[in-house]
Amino acid sequence: MTKRRMFLRMITASLLRRRSRMLIALLSIGIGATILAGLVTIYYDVPRQMRAQMRSYGANMLLMPADGETLTEARLEETLSRFPEETLVGAAPYRYVRLDMTSRQQSFTTAGTDFDAVQKTSPYFSVEGAYPAASREILVGKEIAETIGVKVGSEMELTWQPTAVAEGDASADWVPGAMLSGSAEGWSGGSVSISATLGEDGKIAEITVDASTQTAEFGGRAQTDEAFLNQFVGKSLPLRLTNVTDENAGAGIRTAMSAAPEGSDEVDALTGATVTSSAIVNALNGARTASAASQPRTMKYTVSGILVTGGEEEGYIFMALSDLEALTGEDRLDVAELSVSAEEDQLNAYAEGITEEDNGVTARLVKRVTKSETAVLGKLQALVFLVTVVVLLLTMICVSTTMMAVVSERRREIGLRKALGASDNSIRGEFLGEGIFLGTLGGVLGAVLGFVFAQVVSVNVFGSSITFQPLLLPVTVLVSVAIAAVSCLAPIKRAMAIDPALVLKGE
Amino acid sequence: MALLELKNISKIYGELKALDNVSLHVDKGEWVAIMGPSGSGKSTMMNIIGCMDKPTKGEVLLDGVDISKESSKKLTDIRRDKIGLIFQQFHMVNYLTAVENVMVSQYYHSMPDEEEALEALGRVGLRERAKHLPSQLSGGEQQRVCVARALINHPELILADEPTGNLDEANENIVLDLFRQLHREGTTLIVVTHDPEVAEAAQRTIVLEHGRVAREIINENFVE
Repeated sequence: MTKRRMFLRMITASLLRRRSRMLIALLSIGIGATILAGLVTIYYDVPRQMRAQMRSYGANMLLMPADGETLTEARLEETLSRFPEETLVGAAPYRYVRLDMTSRQQSFTTAGTDFDAVQKTSPYFSVEGAYPAASREILVGKEIAETIGVKVGSEMELTWQPTAVAEGDASADWVPGAMLSGSAEGWSGGSVSISATLGEDGKIAEITVDASTQTAEFGGRAQTDEAFLNQFVGKSLPLRLTNVTDENAGAGIRTAMSAAPEGSDEVDALTGATVTSSAIVNALNGARTASAASQPRTMKYTVSGILVTGGEEEGYIFMALSDLEALTGEDRLDVAELSVSAEEDQLNAYAEGITEEDNGVTARLVKRVTKSETAVLGKLQALVFLVTVVVLLLTMICVSTTMMAVVSERRREIGLRKALGASDNSIRGEFLGEGIFLGTLGGVLGAVLGFVFAQVVSVNVFGSSITFQPLLLPVTVLVSVAIAAVSCLAPIKRAMAIDPALVLKGE
Repeated sequence: MALLELKNISKIYGELKALDNVSLHVDKGEWVAIMGPSGSGKSTMMNIIGCMDKPTKGEVLLDGVDISKESSKKLTDIRRDKIGLIFQQFHMVNYLTAVENVMVSQYYHSMPDEEEALEALGRVGLRERAKHLPSQLSGGEQQRVCVARALINHPELILADEPTGNLDEANENIVLDLFRQLHREGTTLIVVTHDPEVAEAAQRTIVLEHGRVAREIINENFVE
């Protein structure tokens, strides 16, 4: 038998045959390691846990159109794809317009948004009734509801009064069945007027042209030439003029033609009457824009819920973005509120990245939220850290005391071993060996129980579970071994001072 | 030839002279008993011979080497190599079995050898009890294990402190018989005792009083 095997045999015998004593030491190390491992787990998990909690304070980042740009849903989607999926808690788009309630001669700021996203970015919104689920359902702020006396289930008619729409705005949508009329300047300053009816599909169904001011054998023919007129039927506005052959066509006409956007339906110019043809197309396009822009549109909505926030949101009406688009015919957003689960530095990096990308979107942090979040997290983590350190110290004292008791109890044995010829080094080795063995065992016990402890705390306090950190096992074991070893040092030093002669005195 | 020689040693604790100019000569293979009342300096002398203490004055020659000025580390080495100790209170490691207790002595001395340890237990008649813990052994059995432990490394000198002090007569006889065996094999024995019967088993008895050698009795009836 080698010395090492005897060494192990003595240590295991000491641990196994002195079970009750060793259990106490093991328990003291194990409990210390448990609380330590648990607290360390919580310490590292607190930011993640709390960040999720903090997101209930609302959005911490705003996306807005850059100067001179328009924020569309497509652009928003593109920008949101920058965020890793797990960090983006929610992103609520907002479009604000004033809608009239003609029956009461009042107007309200109405926000078009995505209610699923709102519930994530503004979890503090409280709704009496329910969030809109179907189309044409709206959420009315409490303040408005009290002013005009609507309740959940009430119906409201809201009217959109278009203001000026930019000339040639292709995005302006189209009302089927509308009658269009308009005029444009033709050959030598003469006015060419048109009137047209749109079919249910929004395409031209019928067109009449009054080109009486134009030269009869050239532009005047536009009034009667069936081949020319028939080509308008079934086409969607706006139109573009092609097949221009007239040598008289000057720069002005080309400019007018090119004003029609890409992808417009095309009509051939009447041979020898390019200017008149162009006037007809311009009149139609103009009439369409004027029509779309000028007609107020009214829709009836059902109130699905009353919004209570205690803030300015109570003075707004909220409806689904798709409903608002149907009413206004505009696909544009004023702002998107983002709730991003990340540290302040990371948020800054995201915001700078988005702004620098120059995609027509600028990002800003809601400082009020991010600052307080960072401060609260920092304090909480500091608190857990402090508790961890205190527990570590208490564990060391506890383990040290236990070890001290274990050694004192074995004074006679130590004296005997010394009398039998044990050197100070062997005594130190034997007790340290036991300490390390206990530390390892206690550490493994503590790492496992500590995880359970952290899990229980996490579930009860934060309401979410935590993932096991594999690194925690070796770290806890190492720390336990170190604590056990350090705790043993003082008692071992005392043990080595024991006089072997004491065993001879027949104590 | 002298195995142990004390030359005019004194041990002084402040005012108290525990040993006062004591000289002693023990030959190799000799069996010597040391007697004396409490406070006579027996324990001090025992500690000095056992390399667990150093005299204030005088020389201690063990196997021709002066150990009176050695460091405690060196004394540990000498004790381990040359001396086998037997105590009044038996003193076993209470969580180790009988054979393991014998092996502890081997472990500190050289190499643990279970077979050899079992043989030593066989010599004291305890081979069957080898796997028992001290708590499962009687006092006499424990002391016999201690004898086995003391002789396992073949020491030059066996130093026994009241070896039969806590034993009944039957066990006392067993232990004394073991001593006789060891003596026949040539082992030097120094036995500190109160008990005249134990002292009479030795070849020679030194009586200490007040830190001095009061008298020396040669045992005429000693049977080889």
